[in-house]
Amino acid sequence: MTPSTTSPAGDPPPSAENEARGFRRLEARILRTVLWQTFSSSRLRVGVLLGLSAVLWGGLFAVGYEGFGFLRSTISHPMYEEVVRALFSTFFLWLLLMLLFSSALILYGSLFRSREVVMLLTLPVRPERIFLHKLQEAAVLSSWGFLLLGSPMLLAYGIVAEAPWYYYATLLPLLLAFVSIPVSVGAMLCLEAMYRVPSRRALVVALAGVGLVAAMVWFAAGLLLRPESDLMTIHWFRDMLGRLELTEQRLLPNWWLSSGLLEAAEGTWSEGVMFLALLVANALFCRELAVWLAARRYRRAYSRVSGAGGGRRRAWFAWLDTLTSAALAPLPRTVRLMLLKDLRLFRRDPLQWSQFLILFTLLGLYSVNVHPFQSAINYSGWVSMVSFMNLCVVGLLMATFTTRFVFPMISLEGRRLWLLSLLPLRRETILWSKFLFSAGSLWVPCGLLVLLSDWTLRVSPAVHANHQATCAVLVLGLSGIAVGLGARLPNLREASPSRIAAGFGGTLNLVLGTLYILLVAGLMALPCHFQFVAQSAKPNLPLEEFSPLGPWLRLWLVGGTLGSVLLGAAATALPLWLGLRAFRRLEY
Amino acid sequence: MIQFENVTRRYGQTVAVSGLTLTVDRGEVVALLGPNGAGKTTAIRVLVGLLRPDEGAVRLCGCDAVEQPRRAIRSVGYVPEDPFLYEKLSGREFLEFAAEMHGLDRATVRQRIARETERFDLGGFLGDLTETYSHGMKQRLVFASALLHDPAVLVVDEPTVGLDPWSVRVVKDLLRSQAAAGGAVLMSTHTLSLAEEIADRIGVLRGGRLRFLGSLPDLRRELAAPGAPLEPLFLELTKTDGERSKDEG
Repeated sequence: MTPSTTSPAGDPPPSAENEARGFRRLEARILRTVLWQTFSSSRLRVGVLLGLSAVLWGGLFAVGYEGFGFLRSTISHPMYEEVVRALFSTFFLWLLLMLLFSSALILYGSLFRSREVVMLLTLPVRPERIFLHKLQEAAVLSSWGFLLLGSPMLLAYGIVAEAPWYYYATLLPLLLAFVSIPVSVGAMLCLEAMYRVPSRRALVVALAGVGLVAAMVWFAAGLLLRPESDLMTIHWFRDMLGRLELTEQRLLPNWWLSSGLLEAAEGTWSEGVMFLALLVANALFCRELAVWLAARRYRRAYSRVSGAGGGRRRAWFAWLDTLTSAALAPLPRTVRLMLLKDLRLFRRDPLQWSQFLILFTLLGLYSVNVHPFQSAINYSGWVSMVSFMNLCVVGLLMATFTTRFVFPMISLEGRRLWLLSLLPLRRETILWSKFLFSAGSLWVPCGLLVLLSDWTLRVSPAVHANHQATCAVLVLGLSGIAVGLGARLPNLREASPSRIAAGFGGTLNLVLGTLYILLVAGLMALPCHFQFVAQSAKPNLPLEEFSPLGPWLRLWLVGGTLGSVLLGAAATALPLWLGLRAFRRLEY
Repeated sequence: MIQFENVTRRYGQTVAVSGLTLTVDRGEVVALLGPNGAGKTTAIRVLVGLLRPDEGAVRLCGCDAVEQPRRAIRSVGYVPEDPFLYEKLSGREFLEFAAEMHGLDRATVRQRIARETERFDLGGFLGDLTETYSHGMKQRLVFASALLHDPAVLVVDEPTVGLDPWSVRVVKDLLRSQAAAGGAVLMSTHTLSLAEEIADRIGVLRGGRLRFLGSLPDLRRELAAPGAPLEPLFLELTKTDGERSKDEG
């Protein structure tokens, strides 16, 4: 071997096409290996995951189908379209913002913090190619959940609206084009922020988060803090539609998407295709703009980010640890120390706590803003239904939290097992500390959220008690599932919690968690809701005579409560037991 | 072939490399030594285009590493201390990817992979996924990938950490043979015996500044320690002011 030349002009560099082909081959090879490994070594796991996902998908489809069916039968023809348009525009607007924020965050990690880009930047690869490679990854990571959960709703709408075939044919292209716009814009914002203010990136993330929350508060306030009118009347619908006009800005992609879907569903295919073309053209334009920017900025931005934030970093808020330690005094010393360590790690990672904060702030704001509805709701059944739905939403938030934050904890701990195993610490202690961390950090905020929501809706003390008990059962079960599955299906190769959560185990955790919530809510809270409706509608009528469901309602109430307590105990103990067995055998 | 011209690089307020001027000519092995935080890895990261200098310029085979990063990088084979490998690719697939990014045609890729496979004895595991490799196997694969395009400049950061004696020997021979064939080699290391054995010149960094640049005999002359091994000379050169005054006291 001899070094070819003294100048770098040996072999010609690959053309942009060959470079792209090389990356496509790389991605295809990795995907092929991952699929082959998954299907050859864990068919049962994949089968279970696909089965559970299908159940979840089917459930969402059923909810969407019933929901759109209900709206169509309740609301007259022209207003129905207006309501659906407002719903779609609002939903897609928030999705647009969430995708923009999450893609920017994901790209920060993958473009500026990953070891892969260090390798790629030391190869003669165009920076825009590296950027595109990571952009595609971010698009998949930030939008797969939307495509999985949004597709049943849109399919259900098409069926209810008796949409022609081209509605279904344009559905996927419309969604893909829509998703790629916020992802590209988020990527540009990320690049610009890292280029302009690399040393203030944490502040940028915090400001963006605060901005997002502020926008939501402003929107929620505009929607809810106005003179109320009677619920479900024509005037009320007109008023609400007027308030939602804000989301129907003609220059925003969410309006193009909802218009494209509605036009296609109504049979005006030319309009549908026009909106599809509009979305695709804008998606391609945003992508090209992002690539152009990356070609000029990425290397410089990488260098600036790598050079920012030098010097010492002090560990702040030691008083918080002292307080927490005092609060945890009744616990065994080893568990207390593990909990303190986890709380410190969580507190010092802005990417972790900012997401947690945003989720809970949003729900808190929502709960507070439910209040104006209370006076408008003159049918007490609606009060109960809204409080029941709020409980379910809090449950889903818990499932998201345990999947995103709790499930990866054992995998991350597994990477430090060489250290923990050398300490006089039983592995059970590690697992129990994670369980306590999860249960403790969920119970307080979620219990408060449910309390706040029920208090603003002025539900009866019995409903308060029922919802708090349901919340407790959910917290314990979801924590048990996340910690147990995390120990049973650890991913010791991955250092990023979001990637661990997006893997097989994390997805299974989310699916099982959601099913668990539906079961517990159905067994424990739903009969309470029905009984409340029955009693408030006809206070003097015996329950058995209220509806055909009457004779069974008391049985459902008592049996369901007992059943859900048993289910909660099983969901807590069984995964923990399975996880502990696996964790004891885990080698490092 | 490698030129640092008065390069300064800061991390926030911290100056990692200050006014570094260093040239590595063809046929030469230069070892960068220094305590932790001396600026060795920063200098290397500036050289391979990961970091841009705040002041000064870096040239590789005459190409400015800041103005023409892709062109400059094409002349470099870089072996980092903690290399990244795609775990779901086999060693062969990884080499093919690296070669393709350097613009080698298929026939050349096959030929070069065969050459490096023989040199680094990769044949036994080249078809396996890299997630199954030991540290030594990974390091050998990364060396092979860095040399596929016959770079004029080889830059290595801690080349022998974690390697078995056989692999260390292979690496030492490789670095010398690369220089003997007309290439330039810049390595950063804490292994003083390695620098003593194979480096033509030694650069000692402390606090981001180049404290010494020259051959081992030059260093001995400068510190008036004829025949002394590198270790005491290095320790003397990298003493902090506090340590020095304590010694004098």
